[in-house]
Amino acid sequence: MYRQVQQRLRSAPPRYWLVLVLVLFFIGLPTVITSFQASEWTLVLIFAIVIMGLNILVGYSGQISLGHGALMALGAYTSAILIHRYQVDYLVTIPIAGLVTGLIGFLLGIPALRLSALYLALATFALAVVTPSLIKRPAGLTGGVQGILISSPDPPQFAKDAFASVTSGPPMSSDQWMYYLSLISALVLFWLAWNLIRRRPGRALRAIRDREVAAASYGINIAGYKTMAFGISAFYAGIGGSLYGLAIGFVSPDTFPLALSFQLLVGTVVGGLASIAGPLIGGVFTFWLPIVSSQFVGSQSWIPAQIASVFQKAGPAVTYGALLIVVMIFAPNGVAGLIRTGYMRLQARLRGAGDRGTGQMPPDPQTV
Amino acid sequence: MQELIQQVVSGLASGAIFASLALALVLIYNAMGLVNFAQGEMAMFATFIAFTLIIHGLNYWIAFPLTLGIAFVAGVVIERVVIRPVERAPVLTLVIVTLGLATLVNGAAGFLFGYVPRSFPSPFSVQTINILGAFASFQDLSVIAVCGIVLIAIYLLLQRTTIGLTLRAAAHHPEPSRLLGVRVSWMLALGWGLASAVGAVSGIMVAPILLLEPNMMQTIIIYAFAAAVLGGIESPLGAVVGGLIVGLTVNLAGAYVPFVGGDLELAVALAIIVGVLVIKPNGLFGRAAVRNV
Amino acid sequence: MPSALLELENVHCGYGQTSVLHGVTLSVPEGSIVSLLGANGAGKTTTLRAITGGVHWLGDIRFAGRSLRGRHTEDIVGEGIAHVPEGRGILTELTVDENLRLGAHKRKDRDAVRKDYDRVFEYFPVLKERRWLSASTLSGGEQQMLAVARALLMKPRLMLLDEPSLGLAPLVVRSIFEIIRTINQTDHVAVLLVEQNARLALELSTEAYVLEVGRVAVSGKSAELQGQESVRRSYLGY
Repeated sequence: MYRQVQQRLRSAPPRYWLVLVLVLFFIGLPTVITSFQASEWTLVLIFAIVIMGLNILVGYSGQISLGHGALMALGAYTSAILIHRYQVDYLVTIPIAGLVTGLIGFLLGIPALRLSALYLALATFALAVVTPSLIKRPAGLTGGVQGILISSPDPPQFAKDAFASVTSGPPMSSDQWMYYLSLISALVLFWLAWNLIRRRPGRALRAIRDREVAAASYGINIAGYKTMAFGISAFYAGIGGSLYGLAIGFVSPDTFPLALSFQLLVGTVVGGLASIAGPLIGGVFTFWLPIVSSQFVGSQSWIPAQIASVFQKAGPAVTYGALLIVVMIFAPNGVAGLIRTGYMRLQARLRGAGDRGTGQMPPDPQTV
Repeated sequence: MQELIQQVVSGLASGAIFASLALALVLIYNAMGLVNFAQGEMAMFATFIAFTLIIHGLNYWIAFPLTLGIAFVAGVVIERVVIRPVERAPVLTLVIVTLGLATLVNGAAGFLFGYVPRSFPSPFSVQTINILGAFASFQDLSVIAVCGIVLIAIYLLLQRTTIGLTLRAAAHHPEPSRLLGVRVSWMLALGWGLASAVGAVSGIMVAPILLLEPNMMQTIIIYAFAAAVLGGIESPLGAVVGGLIVGLTVNLAGAYVPFVGGDLELAVALAIIVGVLVIKPNGLFGRAAVRNV
Repeated sequence: MPSALLELENVHCGYGQTSVLHGVTLSVPEGSIVSLLGANGAGKTTTLRAITGGVHWLGDIRFAGRSLRGRHTEDIVGEGIAHVPEGRGILTELTVDENLRLGAHKRKDRDAVRKDYDRVFEYFPVLKERRWLSASTLSGGEQQMLAVARALLMKPRLMLLDEPSLGLAPLVVRSIFEIIRTINQTDHVAVLLVEQNARLALELSTEAYVLEVGRVAVSGKSAELQGQESVRRSYLGY
């Protein structure tokens, strides 16, 4: 038994080690940063979860959704309403939110089957725009424009104690607890996605994406897999939405604007379509880009305050838009694609082999 | 009865605005099989240009065509710079690029002009005039007239001129057109220019009603999507008819269906989009789609 | 020897990894009809596409003494080469008249265009009848007529015809070939004719080239090739 483990460790490709280092990094992170910073990284993880789901839909099944912000809203409101009105334990509401959103996503996937990618983009775009006004309508349930406040969850005693003894500081705060909750969710969901993608469903989805007619002739159930992709993708968005509501402490119609759906798509694309690492990169990018760019502008004393304040509002949009275009033109596989290509080139160089041109679409995307 | 007529006229006025933007979408769809998600934002930006020209003292009726000219050039430039490199890419890539363009233009407008809503001057008086015993607002009738003139001009351009002929040829049959000496690639750019100009009309017409700010077109584009889809996305006539129908439906539903009221008008557009796409994807005027294998 | 209107010299080309032409040399003299024969996949269509810049090629292609290297299809066509492609290239979304107008859309000599219209309708009266109808309503033969008529309105010095007989009834083919001959004689338009129907093509043309897997296997005067039993048997199949 021990031998076997040793054997497997020795033969593990470098990317497994990288994953291990990454996981340890994320586990240790809150012990060295402040509670507030941990709350920021919580949002990174949540974005990564939703982007992972979106990536399954866009990158692997070749469908598109500009309405994932709306699905996040559904998950967040499911949790918020269950907690607020029915006093359900928040931990229980997270999977419920995922399942409810997943089910709705699955149902949305059925009419989506009849639509080409273009029409699907159009319909989901409209959904994203309409969502805020749809949320406001049943004000009794959703709290209307005000939304719903959610009290921040208290970490369980064992976690508090464990954290205090590791850091030899104060016990775990609510923000830090949310961080770990999101991290656990992200790990489980990434692991699930990784399994899904490298097994039969993943191959089927890629076959459908690349050659739908050929896939049908192999007997792949196209309708089944496509709606499944929608359902799974929505499940991820639901979990992400639920965590998002818990993390920021309230949900309101304006929490889920069109821009959120955009940000998610940008994260997916910039991170890299059809890649497992992509969503993580995308999550980091989606969350930090607006903050970093406006902090940068704010810190530059030579920029007049007036312009700086306008930039802080408009800057992220300009940067997002420009980046989206540049990435699509020059690196359609996103950052993960660039890393992969670079890594393969490096390997080829090290082996002394000729530098073969690498294709546009990754043939079989795996971790890192 | 009087109120109904008033509602119909104002519905048609909104419809004419939606129709202009929908026609812009159709022009680009025909040229390259793509829905331009940035169309509304481009129109918004053009409206800001018109606004800037007018507050600097230019006469409205000079600023208006001048803006259309600028929008035309901008459309051509955007096609050359942003779209050309991904011309042959998959639809998904193109859609994402136009979304990026939408975000970029929106942010740029915010950056240059700010987010404070401004009232856009209108050359039309707010008086009402009496038609057949009912009062209709002069503003609404003028919007209908201006949009009507623009749409007719586009129709004549496409159907009666050589350049329109080559545009249509390049859009539908790029390869044979090239053999006839049509510069297909430039025709795409021209299509973008035209679409940009037509879209700008909708922006300038809607601005006095809505107040001008960077997110002004975000709802209008949804109505335009609904109009284009209803008309069958590839038919210019369909876009116009679709626009009028959507305008009427939304206005009348908002006024007479209590459940819809003011705030769910947008949901009506969503319902139209989804309904048409699921039940009759070719819309009213579209041809049956051929599935490419 | 006077230089020919169109000259191909050792032309190589292909699609991606597969090469289709392995050094084709041929020439079309001013005002002549030359036929390009050969089995399916021999590279006939590719040869025509190379001439109008539809594929990348190596070697040299000269039209009226000037090389066509690196030039775009739109410019080559403007030089006076009308290419009726495989499948006729009818723009079925447009009307018959619009198809014809596209043929002439680059010409500035309006009076001459008007005369050419009259002549085209003389050749093909059916097009005059159908002038305002959608081109998609035309039969196969009528579409071929439209394609030739449209090519003529481009006022070319050279016409490239890709299998004008494909899928048409023998009688229709006859009449179209007659008109090609008339066009050649009265307008002095040179014709490079790609054909599967070798017998008809050899009757019409003065010179012929037979392609076999991307190379010229046989060439010569049409009448001579017609007479050679062995050539007919092994390459032309009749």
